[in-house]
Amino acid sequence: MFSLLATLAIAAPQDAEEIFRQSVAPLLEERCLPCHDGEQAKGGISLTAALPEDLITPGDPAESLLIEVLAGPDPEMPKDGEPLSEDELATLRAWVEAGGAWIDGEVGSRGWWSLQPLNEASAPEPESTWRSWVRDPIDTFILAGLRARGLEPSPEADRRTLLRRLHFDLVGLPPTPEELEAFLSNDSPDAYEREVDRLLASARYGERWARHWLDVVHYADTHGYDKDKTRPNAWPYRDWVIRALNEDKPYADFVAEQLAGDVLYEDDPGAVVATGMLAAGPWDYVGHVELREGTVDKKKTRNLDRDDVVTNVFSSFQSLTVHCARCHDHKFDPITQAEYYDLQSVFAGIERAEREYDADPAIGALRAALVGERDALQGSIREAKELLDREVEQDTRPSSLELLSARAEAQASITQPDRTGSMGYHTEMSYTADSPKWVQVDLGASNEIEEVILYPCDEVFGGHPGPGFGLPAQIEVQLASTPEGEWSTAGTWRGADAGIRHGDRPIHFPLESGASARYVRVHVPVLWERTEDYCFALAELEVISSGENIARGAAVEAKDSIEAGGRWGKELLVDGARPWSPEMARLEELEGDWRALRAELEPEPARAAREHDSERLTVVSAELSALPPSSKVYAAATSFQREGSFAPPPGGAPRAVHRLERGEVTQPLEASAPGAVKALPHAPASFDLPAESDESARRVALAEWIAHPENPLTWRSIVNRVWQYHFGRGLVDSPNDFGRMGVRPSHPELLDHLALRFRDGGGSFKELHRALVLSATYRQSSAHRAEAAAIDDGNRLLWRANRRRLEAEALRDSTLSVSGDLNLEMGGPGFQLFGFEDDHSPRYLYAEADLEDTQTHRRSVYRFVVRSVPDPWMTSFDCADPSHCTPVRSETTTPLQALALMNDRFMLRQAERFAARVEREAPRDPVSLAARLAWQREPEPAELLLLREHEEEHGLAAVCRVLLNSNEFLYVD
Amino acid sequence: MDRRSFLQAGGGLGSVAFAHLLAREPLLGDGVIRHHAPTAQRVVQLFMSGAASQCDLYDYKPLLIERNGEDWNPGEEVELFQSAPGKVMRSPWQWTQNGECGKWMSSLVPRTAECVDDIAFIHSMTSRSNVHGPATFLESTGFLLPGFPSMGAWISHALGSENDDLPTYVCLPDLRGLPPGGPKNWSAGFLPAEHQATVIQPSAKDPIANLFPPDAAGVSAERDEADRELVNALNQRHRETRGGDSRLAARMRAYELAARMQLAAPEVFDLSDEPRSTREAYGLDDPVTADFGRRCLIARRLLERGVRFVQVWSGADNGFPRRNWDSHENIERDHGDMGRSMDGPAAALLQDLKRRGLLEETIVHWTTEFGRMPCGQGELGRDHNPFGFTNWLAGGGIKGGVTYGATDEWSWKAVDKPTDNYDVHATMLHALGIDHTRLTHRTDGIDRRLTDVHGHVLHELLA
Repeated sequence: MFSLLATLAIAAPQDAEEIFRQSVAPLLEERCLPCHDGEQAKGGISLTAALPEDLITPGDPAESLLIEVLAGPDPEMPKDGEPLSEDELATLRAWVEAGGAWIDGEVGSRGWWSLQPLNEASAPEPESTWRSWVRDPIDTFILAGLRARGLEPSPEADRRTLLRRLHFDLVGLPPTPEELEAFLSNDSPDAYEREVDRLLASARYGERWARHWLDVVHYADTHGYDKDKTRPNAWPYRDWVIRALNEDKPYADFVAEQLAGDVLYEDDPGAVVATGMLAAGPWDYVGHVELREGTVDKKKTRNLDRDDVVTNVFSSFQSLTVHCARCHDHKFDPITQAEYYDLQSVFAGIERAEREYDADPAIGALRAALVGERDALQGSIREAKELLDREVEQDTRPSSLELLSARAEAQASITQPDRTGSMGYHTEMSYTADSPKWVQVDLGASNEIEEVILYPCDEVFGGHPGPGFGLPAQIEVQLASTPEGEWSTAGTWRGADAGIRHGDRPIHFPLESGASARYVRVHVPVLWERTEDYCFALAELEVISSGENIARGAAVEAKDSIEAGGRWGKELLVDGARPWSPEMARLEELEGDWRALRAELEPEPARAAREHDSERLTVVSAELSALPPSSKVYAAATSFQREGSFAPPPGGAPRAVHRLERGEVTQPLEASAPGAVKALPHAPASFDLPAESDESARRVALAEWIAHPENPLTWRSIVNRVWQYHFGRGLVDSPNDFGRMGVRPSHPELLDHLALRFRDGGGSFKELHRALVLSATYRQSSAHRAEAAAIDDGNRLLWRANRRRLEAEALRDSTLSVSGDLNLEMGGPGFQLFGFEDDHSPRYLYAEADLEDTQTHRRSVYRFVVRSVPDPWMTSFDCADPSHCTPVRSETTTPLQALALMNDRFMLRQAERFAARVEREAPRDPVSLAARLAWQREPEPAELLLLREHEEEHGLAAVCRVLLNSNEFLYVD
Repeated sequence: MDRRSFLQAGGGLGSVAFAHLLAREPLLGDGVIRHHAPTAQRVVQLFMSGAASQCDLYDYKPLLIERNGEDWNPGEEVELFQSAPGKVMRSPWQWTQNGECGKWMSSLVPRTAECVDDIAFIHSMTSRSNVHGPATFLESTGFLLPGFPSMGAWISHALGSENDDLPTYVCLPDLRGLPPGGPKNWSAGFLPAEHQATVIQPSAKDPIANLFPPDAAGVSAERDEADRELVNALNQRHRETRGGDSRLAARMRAYELAARMQLAAPEVFDLSDEPRSTREAYGLDDPVTADFGRRCLIARRLLERGVRFVQVWSGADNGFPRRNWDSHENIERDHGDMGRSMDGPAAALLQDLKRRGLLEETIVHWTTEFGRMPCGQGELGRDHNPFGFTNWLAGGGIKGGVTYGATDEWSWKAVDKPTDNYDVHATMLHALGIDHTRLTHRTDGIDRRLTDVHGHVLHELLA
């Protein structure tokens, strides 16, 4: 482009205004406008209106400020970026020389390329010599780029190379010797095309390409951060991506489902799973679960969490860096800080959490019906009870009045307990209910036991009114005779079954006669919920033997205990202090009479109806629990199980989002409202949702805005990604940034051609792949040509194919494939290449992986991906770091890679397995087969000689180790 | 072609991409390694995981002793991480003045107290987070989120290696485990993977993962060499028909370098040639100091062999029983253990570097993710304090015997010259000859820096 500008500039004499319009304005727009635009322009110099004063001296470049700041060995401008080229400076000098004509408003009038509507340019007509080379319109665009620089495309690669390239590209695995043989011996003219179709129809295709998308959306199976807990139900989203690609889901649906599938396709359970995309990124467990509500750090946590969601959505679907506007307006692209927070508010009603769904829609419908009926029955039972309350109030018979007054008196006689002294035993707090705890007494010797009695606590804390504090729904009493002996369960109490609040009445566990034990343990499988956390507590434990309590003062042990200044402590479980009193027993008796009175007063039809409802409720509850358990997926959720201080937004309403001064949560500015970015005019940026609409309307609005057929970024972004994975580099080399800080497209017309073709063809990925890999451009040889490299060293114009190293996953899968170990089982929970301990902070121990477990021989896309402690082997081969979106993987070459491939126990084991396989399959000539499997070609005689010598001296496994370390195994021509 | 000539063909490599492999190709290109003349060549960072208490180590406040046990009222609302503020709590250790500079130090760090005239203390550190994970990332990478390059990676990226057979950047984690966030604290983030730290675990059977084939694989040294020779020969043959691709030669070179590391690394871990006095100084024979001491000594051996950045961790994650500095329950017990394990070895490292003349161009950086409260948590512990804590620097052009900034009279909030990780990182880069605003890498549309959009060089600390 710039050589073109230079030509124009040098072709003087020329009309200065024409030079300005054609060459200078676009140049200033690209190189200067990022900072010198509008009211906020740096140095007060804006180029978008009149010519800034003193910027140039017409006719005299040497005296012009513009040239002065841009020219020279260490130019002052541009502040951020490369100095202007000599060609560019020549253009500016020529323009100043010619009088420096200026048209107000011309600079900036073009707008940024990526924000312009898609534009179908007709493919340039190829020269006659090259006409037969062209197989697809793609090739005409590429050819035009090459010919403009005097370049020629490379000849087509040989068939073995093509087949190998095709296999790694489309399915990520090498062709087998049989596949190679079949292809090479197929003379039909459409053999290649048929192979393309065969591979695209293979389930391996979705596995290969899902991994690319999972890089982009930074998917992993753990939260990341400190205390990197696992996400055992993230994988359904990973499987959804694989399935969507294999089924060739239209791209507009692919986009919309990931943003709002739960709302848009209520009948399709898979669509709920698709919103796993919004939850794919890291999540701060400590910040969300452990930090107290109302703290500044809590606000920071939420702000950064929504930032990750907004970044993920806009980087992945729009290739736009909206996240640069979190602290201030975007410095380079037309995105305001207000728009950024409008985007945050789109996601202000959701959290990342486990969400239940029914994979089978019929069961989902049944479950919904049963839940509806259960709620209705519970409502009518409650109503009947309230009606009866009023009946009892109106009963004026003396006996009834007497009972009621005695009951009231007994209630009043129970004085406020003294809560300053001994309370009893209290466990440490847990963040989940499901963490069993126990406390036990040692009676010193084995005793015959008649009964065990537990007394609940009476404590006021965090909204809990008193009696029954810390009392869990289920308690088991267990007995043992020796400290390490086997515990037998002597009794189980289920408070929840009674359907009433237990309060502080003692709980009796009568034992069978003859029962004896030295150790008595209270085991609690599911803890009591306090406020945002879980525990259990007991005031007193009594063990009755011959009518006496023999537990008093016994030694107490517990899984854990809060020891707090004489109020709580293990020993206080057997100190005789408990809130239960004889007055309470009296009250309990009166409560019984009172219940009898209610039964008497209840009219027959009401009783019958209530009992009918209760029976029906039992049936409905049983039917509900008989349904197959619903599935879970870690996704965008509005309602979910509370954990610690992590809870759905109050009332299910989206949280308020404000624009923040310099991005500081302590400095909120005006409130934000759901909306998108005005710089894209295809649809209104403000969603104008009615105030009462729920959060889902926000995501639906954004889904429609992004999946819109006229949104140019949506279509450009995705075809660029697909191009990149086939050709090694995108047409836009910054696939997540189509803004001014990104790289301009090498072939803008081709990009739009593909975007339109993809959109108008129904957004079919498979059609797009087909077009790309059938093109002549794709089929070129990767051989080096010095004369072409002299012109285009980086192969930006594609005068040859790019040789590529296998990515970490493809390398691992290929190793398993040639060794014969590859397990093609699809889907389900990820296999774990590590040992795992959850000891307050989870630990992932890669050295402990069981390499003989055939689950670990599945394709790498099914690997359980840990964020905080990445797999060292995979990382050494530049595997994506799921902390961030990874649009392009780097490709490094390091000594650590050599060590990983030579010495890692996985590779050494695979070499042995590989050796065993070829020994088994070709006992007469195992070395040849090994080479054919690893290289997908016949070994040459010289190579064979060396390999066989090596086998004789060091064995077949040594040969296989060597093959797995060879460049030819790792690189695809 | 016979076997001999075939194999020899593979040996005669040019040095294509050799510099790149060693990470010696500097970011700033063409020998322009630095923006200005450096005063330091390398860094050793001592990272106290879990938040070491400034007011029990270095930040002396007589008021805490005077008001010990009284209700604490600093005059404004106090928001704590775990608890409600307890009573004013003095340090269980005694304070004395040390060195020519007269620096007050607690009796928990008597050996460090001997070195105060070489140290610049920064008492006015603040953190943007009160949570271990993000705050640890902030100290090690300049960002609260995981996934950013660590300081060592940035320095490797900018300056490359000083040696031919060891990694540029080494991390020595605590024997008991990894700090919060684990390897994210020494990763290369979005910089090329070659800049990530090589983890060395001196007490493990294999201190560097995959340096040798595992014993169970039964690969003899002779076979190992023959395998490598054949890989080389095959790769050479492969490369001959594929010109113009430096990666293919680079991969061959990588195998050579790996072999060289196999020779050099075990020599670093073999401490048998260290004199008795050195072993004693680092506390190798005392079980309390042995682990941290061994790693500090190996750090010195790495630095003198030209490793650019060494990160030594004191403390693991925040689990129970306590295995790092996060002393919520009992400061005397838990800080007592951590302090005793750290003080001697850290001082020995400083003195050893000085004696060998290495301190002149080596920065020693003592840091932690935030500080601890001057009031008690429960009876005996201290909660997190992101508002004021201490770092210290020594060597590599840093002034000794000075103190920068101060907390309030309680050791709660930084009030005089408040500063943070960005300033300290900027200062260290400056000493290494790097302008922190110009050490950038473009990712996801943003030119990222170690110092984000912040950071001022603390010129007062520079000699």
